[in-house]
Amino acid sequence: MNFDWDQEQQEFRSTVRAFLAEHLPDNWEELAHGPGSAAQTEFSKTFCGALADAGLLVPHWPKEWGGREADPWISFILAEEMWAAGEPRGGQYMNVNWIGPTLMRFGTQEQQARYIPPMARGETLWCQGFSEPEAGSDLASLRTRAERDGDNYRINGQKIWTSYAGAADTCFLLARTDAGKRGISIFLLPMDTPGITVRQIPSIIGEGDIHEVFFDAVELPASARLGEEGQAWDIIRLSLSLERVGIPRFALASRMLRRAVGTLQRENRFDAGAVQQAARAHAACEATRLYSYNIIDQRCQGQPPGPEASAARFATVNAERLVAEFVVEHVPEALAGGDALLLAHHQRAIVAGIASGAAEIQLNLIATELLQLPREPR
Amino acid sequence: MDFTPSPDQSALTSAIDRIASRFETTPTEFHGFALDGVELERELESGQYFDIAAIPEMGPIAAALVVERLARLPCTAEIALSMLVRPQLDIELPRPFAVIENGRPGRFVATAKTLVLIDGAQVSVAHPSPEDVEAVESLYAYPMGRLAGKLSATPLAAEQAAGVRTWLRIACAAEMAGLMQAAIDATVEHLSVRKQFGRPLGTFQALRHRMAECAVLAGGVRRLALKAAWTGDAGDAALAALHAQESATRLIYDVHQMLGAMGMTLEMSLHLWTYRMKALLSELGGRGAQAEAVADYCFGAGQGSIER
Ligand SMILES: Cc1cc2nc3c(=O)[nH]c(=O)nc-3n(C[C@H](O)[C@H](O)[C@H](O)COP(=O)(O)OP(=O)(O)OC[C@H]3O[C@@H](n4cnc5c(N)ncnc54)[C@H](O)[C@@H]3O)c2cc1C
Repeated sequence: MNFDWDQEQQEFRSTVRAFLAEHLPDNWEELAHGPGSAAQTEFSKTFCGALADAGLLVPHWPKEWGGREADPWISFILAEEMWAAGEPRGGQYMNVNWIGPTLMRFGTQEQQARYIPPMARGETLWCQGFSEPEAGSDLASLRTRAERDGDNYRINGQKIWTSYAGAADTCFLLARTDAGKRGISIFLLPMDTPGITVRQIPSIIGEGDIHEVFFDAVELPASARLGEEGQAWDIIRLSLSLERVGIPRFALASRMLRRAVGTLQRENRFDAGAVQQAARAHAACEATRLYSYNIIDQRCQGQPPGPEASAARFATVNAERLVAEFVVEHVPEALAGGDALLLAHHQRAIVAGIASGAAEIQLNLIATELLQLPREPR
Repeated sequence: MDFTPSPDQSALTSAIDRIASRFETTPTEFHGFALDGVELERELESGQYFDIAAIPEMGPIAAALVVERLARLPCTAEIALSMLVRPQLDIELPRPFAVIENGRPGRFVATAKTLVLIDGAQVSVAHPSPEDVEAVESLYAYPMGRLAGKLSATPLAAEQAAGVRTWLRIACAAEMAGLMQAAIDATVEHLSVRKQFGRPLGTFQALRHRMAECAVLAGGVRRLALKAAWTGDAGDAALAALHAQESATRLIYDVHQMLGAMGMTLEMSLHLWTYRMKALLSELGGRGAQAEAVADYCFGAGQGSIER
């Protein structure tokens, strides 16, 4: 047991930091506002291209697809540094973390050849079409239909909360081909297919983030289906387990906490009350960091994902909340033109307990799987 | 970064598990506040376990693992200070250790061979003779004692004093982690068997969620404590102690609440963990003081990493 970084890990972190210092423009913090805004989307393509050229976009991918088979620590260090910088990869982080690897595992040769190389070059944006108006936490109740018609499928229905949908090239879409959990299938749907309408949803979390996506008799060939009919549930369980700890949110939270504290100290405003809250928020961030590292370590040892991942997710929610609350109370000007990145952080922090699986669902999983409490009646 | 105990550490924790297995149950005739682990202490002494931190293949992190594990037992002995604080002093001092903060009663004071006296900023050590100390009755589930009179003590130099505070914080967090886990285990067991409204209490989401939150907090305390034991860093120690005292404050309330009236009985013995935690809540000035220490060590002047 040890808590040190080895030399390769330290060097890799320095390399990533140096890359960020060189490639983030002076107005980056203003750009970081609105993770799906046109400006950020545009920038993220240039940035991901440069990352790819430097071998820093997909280091953990197999050689065949442009990676160097780096271990999970390397990809996590990369994710930490990117998120701490305000995620200049924009929505492309999804390609790198799970969409690409999922296609490598379950895609046909044709699907792989078509979609993976542009991801490895940092040229393409995907969106995740899972949630629907009536299917949030209860994702298995989704209703969007895919009806087989000869060599084609016809899609009808609606998705909601779809991040990056306005700018995405392709959607990783879940649709129903039959009843029940085992009746859901995955489709790789080009977003310029006729019959798709995307509407941005005005929100408190920044420009261009969440959307409604409508499918009106959208035709696509059967070759666009990923895996077998009804295999979606098994595939996404596996592919989302690649994202066990999710976004390393503690990295930006803890950087923003330090920034807020630094501001207060410089202006002689770091009073006793602020000290108390800052310290608690810092402890929560560091506890979350260790939870996440613990899970990356398990992954390196080849252990299957366990319930600790839910604990790490919930710890993250706590940490994000404490930092966001600290900033609102002690550096309120940050949300009123005072600091673009603190503001962007606030907008990202408030969704920590909702996006990619609500906090209460994580608590249910912890109760059942970690504590082994008897299940709730259905 | 490696969360797996080394083969040496695993061998140690297995040995400790074997010892612990003999002390897992509370004697049925016991209805007291503190269950004194005299036998356990003797075993640890004869196996020379109090000196494991000094063994290079083990180190303080192994000691912290042991402290956490043994804190889960219903009985208690002076383990944490001996295993984690004593080895950090550059002079060999006899165990058991105890701490007296600003003249207040402290754990194991009546039987300690070395007393660490904390008076404001000053830390000193003393070797009490039996008439210098006395046992006190208390609600805490540790044997508590206090000074019976004036005692001559040797002040520690500032650096050494700071080191003692750091390792006291680590000891507190490691012990708290074990106590929290044991209280959670006892509560989960109760929630799994106790039925009301025709179903086990553990199926009610209001309780499930609170327990899950407690588990997340306890896991965080454990990881912070182990990291601090690895680095020995004053900031890491302050973070661990802060998170421990903060989390335990909440957990103690929640677990008692979930046991209903049963949790108030000495027979249930939940207090053997919760009233040890309560004793630890005030150590080194409590959460407020830990937070100030975090600010000093992690946000203080000279912390190059403060974001501009
Ligand atoms: C910023 C953001 C980006 C997102 N991006 C995407 C995306 O790109 N693609 C996509 O498909 N989706 C996306 N989502 C949607 C996200 O996955 C859902 O919001 C999430 O799954 C929760 O669903 P819901 O919002 O419908 O809430 P609901 O499921 O309606 O939940 C509302 C509340 O009820 C609680 N609740 C629900 N069920 C239970 C239960 N059984 N027990 C106890 N409490 C319960 C929840 O915890 C929550 O507190 C995004 C969401 C956000 C906020």
